[in-house]
Amino acid sequence: MCARAEDAALLERMEVLANDRICEGVGIVTLAAPRIAASVRPGQFVHLKVGSGTSVLLRRPFSVHRASGDAIEILYQVLGRGTRELSLRGAGDALDAIGPLGNGWTMPDGLTHALLVAGGLGAAPMGMLAERLSQRGVAVSFAQGAPNVSRLVARGLFESVSRRYECSTDDGSEGSRGLVTEVSARLLEAHPPDIVYACGPEAMQRAVASQALAAGVPCQVSLERLMACGVGACLSCVVGTVRGPERACFEGPVFDAADVLWDPSEIPPGH
Amino acid sequence: MVDMSAKIGSLILRNPVMTASGTFGSGREYARFVDLEKLGALVTKGVSLRPWRGNSSPRIAETASGMLNSIGLQNPGVEVFCERDLAWLADIDVPVIVNVSGHSVEEYVAVIERLEREKSVAAYEVNISCPNVDAGGMAFGTECAPAAEVTRACRRASSRPLIVKLSPNVTDVAAIAKAVESEGADAVSLINTLLGMSIDASTRRPRLARVVGGLSGPAVKPVALRMVWQVAAAVRVPVVGMGGIMSAEDAVEFLLAGATAVAIGTANFVDPASTTRILSGLEAYCRDNAVERVADLTGALVTEG
Repeated sequence: MCARAEDAALLERMEVLANDRICEGVGIVTLAAPRIAASVRPGQFVHLKVGSGTSVLLRRPFSVHRASGDAIEILYQVLGRGTRELSLRGAGDALDAIGPLGNGWTMPDGLTHALLVAGGLGAAPMGMLAERLSQRGVAVSFAQGAPNVSRLVARGLFESVSRRYECSTDDGSEGSRGLVTEVSARLLEAHPPDIVYACGPEAMQRAVASQALAAGVPCQVSLERLMACGVGACLSCVVGTVRGPERACFEGPVFDAADVLWDPSEIPPGH
Repeated sequence: MVDMSAKIGSLILRNPVMTASGTFGSGREYARFVDLEKLGALVTKGVSLRPWRGNSSPRIAETASGMLNSIGLQNPGVEVFCERDLAWLADIDVPVIVNVSGHSVEEYVAVIERLEREKSVAAYEVNISCPNVDAGGMAFGTECAPAAEVTRACRRASSRPLIVKLSPNVTDVAAIAKAVESEGADAVSLINTLLGMSIDASTRRPRLARVVGGLSGPAVKPVALRMVWQVAAAVRVPVVGMGGIMSAEDAVEFLLAGATAVAIGTANFVDPASTTRILSGLEAYCRDNAVERVADLTGALVTEG
């Protein structure tokens, strides 16, 4: 009566192996998770119970940044109560996790060149993607944007697997001064890719999507929504699409940008 | 062996643990975590006559030991519900209670009339208490006359047990309960969510797109217990108690306050196996306390001495 084993997403206690601060307000937590490490696909997420008791009641969804051996890595920024709780967990602590969940990035056959665009913590779901593309022999161009040089998170990884890496910062402390969408526009024109993958603030993703689609290049975006259940039941995390409202936790979090209705006014009003 | 059965009108449940509407989809999403056939009953997400798109995002906000939601009863309409959800549920041996929503009395009746043609429905829960829609919903549940009117019309349309889900956003919940009982409700369920609000001081904006929404989770449990206790004292029909139940102990408290069955809602989001975990704990409580029938706990609150 239970669903088939291959789509089982189970509840599990995971040990924290490490929780390192990588710059102001940003950390990377490594969890012992053999089952998830073996099965997670780039762009999928885990739903973590970060607090004990009921004060931080709901789980929080986190993209899996990387998976290697028996461990997964999660990149997070301390923005609210949940991420503050996560930042307090240390080696030896245990966290309840559900996952892997959702539909991640798709890598169509025959890709030769992909452009990845990450704004801020939009770098989180990009780690595994960049690695897998590179392993498949797909040339990766990477555009990364952040407020300043210290916030170009996971830059070392991205540079090491990319054929071409360019960045921008708000303060000009590294790369060009300005928005990552200027970098992506330049790269799209100079080195047209077969596909664009984008994650970051929604306005940035929307801008990158419109650049890509205008150039006739397919684009995927990983959208963030507040989630409660994470498994498709509560309808908290809906995204407006040409097919109607879809769940970021179930049909997403990765969507084909051509299907996304970005403007709430495009979506017919409540009932 | 503890007798765990619970009686809701003519419906005999194998145990008193149900799901709360809107927190469990139609069960499919949770079949990976829970053996649905162990549940006392599965209460579906609200179903309306036509598809409802629901409200804008953000639709939830976490609050102290609770959450606000303003989903707005997004659902694909009764036709798709029958074809997709009920068809899937047909193979599963669990009583299915369909939560019925409408903008008007006629819409509630039309949904029930459509569902009467489906074999795999055990009962209806009439939702007169959703705080997140502009027309219908809670508007029917906050005064006696409209609550009675919806109940009367649904009663006429239905051959199956009728549970009416009550709003806590009222001064005298017992009066509403009596009004729906007198129109033929076989049971009442409560509480739906409490109308609330959350503000982000840094942006000066409401945290919900619709500004207000329904509060649920452990934060509402004392209010829910009080209302279940008041209603159980006022009506003869069974009461389905819910509101912030996270543990078997919480469930026992609702039974003691007068509930015949309990529903698990927000807890499903935190622990997707909450329902069966609470069921096992409830059975263990009965064993440990020499309670032979779980029904003996209903209303067994001790107030003297």
